[in-house]
Amino acid sequence: MKNPDWVTQGPPETPLPEQTFFADPALDRAFAVTMTLATEVWVLKDRVMALEAALAKAGVVDPAALDAEPDHEERQSREAARQAFVAGLLDNLTGLQASAGAPEKES
Amino acid sequence: MDDRSFVAAQDVILDMKKHWTTRLYPALKAEYAEKAAGSAPSSRHDVAELLQDSTTYRFFGWMERHLQRMKYSGPYGLDPYHKERSTALTGSLPDMSDDLRLELNPDFENPVYYETVDVHQHPGGVWSDAVSGFIYERGARSTTPMLGEKHRDMHGRLTDRAIRDGVPERMLDMGCGFGKSTRPFWEELRDTQVEAVDLAAPCLTLAAADAAQAQAENVRFRQMSAYETDYDDHSFDLVTSTMLLHEMPPEEIGKTFDECARVLKPGGRMVHLDFYILPDPFAEFIHYGHSRRNNEPFMVPLAEMDVRAELEARGFTNISIEPFQEAEGIDTENSPYWRFPWTIIAAERA
Repeated sequence: MKNPDWVTQGPPETPLPEQTFFADPALDRAFAVTMTLATEVWVLKDRVMALEAALAKAGVVDPAALDAEPDHEERQSREAARQAFVAGLLDNLTGLQASAGAPEKES
Repeated sequence: MDDRSFVAAQDVILDMKKHWTTRLYPALKAEYAEKAAGSAPSSRHDVAELLQDSTTYRFFGWMERHLQRMKYSGPYGLDPYHKERSTALTGSLPDMSDDLRLELNPDFENPVYYETVDVHQHPGGVWSDAVSGFIYERGARSTTPMLGEKHRDMHGRLTDRAIRDGVPERMLDMGCGFGKSTRPFWEELRDTQVEAVDLAAPCLTLAAADAAQAQAENVRFRQMSAYETDYDDHSFDLVTSTMLLHEMPPEEIGKTFDECARVLKPGGRMVHLDFYILPDPFAEFIHYGHSRRNNEPFMVPLAEMDVRAELEARGFTNISIEPFQEAEGIDTENSPYWRFPWTIIAAERA
């Protein structure tokens, strides 16, 4: 069985593009963003759990109180922040122009 | 990057890989079985045609490619983590300059193919940086996600298989890497002189440091090519390799078998653990895809090589090519989960 030529010739001058798996390569990249964020979410959760454990051990927080359902007042105190979070996330779905561009047709 | 974040990220990436192994792979296999019902796929090309529009397969391929990329590169990759700690890691190694367990060759030149491809998606490969051995060692702990801590068992099982027909006085472990495959031999066979060779100085250094720490007196790690060693003819009773052949171009695999024949004593045995037996077109399709997605281009020529004929042509006898059970309870014929096609390739020098 013969070796392929590159075994002795080395790499191509221009590196190959990354492999793609979906019909639209945009999905390959977008999913990579999602998975990177998913990893980051776990890193954050892990740190929050570690922090809570350390704080509980030091007697600063009561884990049961942290896990308990928040009362109406506490939820209201975060309502504006929560709504801003949702708006920031989902306004992207509307496709609205955020800044005025030149009023010309797409060429 | 802090240690906690690195470990948390690596753990969750491994859990994603386990999910891929135990959920996505069976889902893909079930989808294939459904699509193949009534037809008789005879090759990987038939399988590819059946799955060409499968969304499950697209995610399967993506996950296999990119979870490995995320493991090595990116914000919590093995590569940046270890390189950030380069000084501390290299400083943690004992001074091996006068230690007979390690023999590096500063004039050694890597084969072109070895430097061309970053195997396993390890940036720069296992050879290019002083911490490459540390990166490889850490990465190899989760190469086969379902094995976990049983990885050590796998090498022990191979050791048991390799000495089934007798304990060697002298043996050679080819492509020893950072010494994981070699350790059970020098650890269990205290009266055996174990020679181990590899191309990668950073890996050999780690292997020798491990042996030095254990005060092993029966092992030596040397930098040289498996197919061009400097050992005398008929030097060994046993030659082994673990996951080496599929990392070599086909002509070098042939040269490696030549070298085994040369250095083995008459009646000596060689035992190679690698990926070879592909029982059906689906297994072939999955393995060929893995070859591409994991940057292991020589898995395919090895799979297509008539290994038995190659060995017979070199005069080997008692040739045995059989599935290898990497851990207790594994179904080598029809695993419900993704697994490598582990195969023992063993033969005796006439």
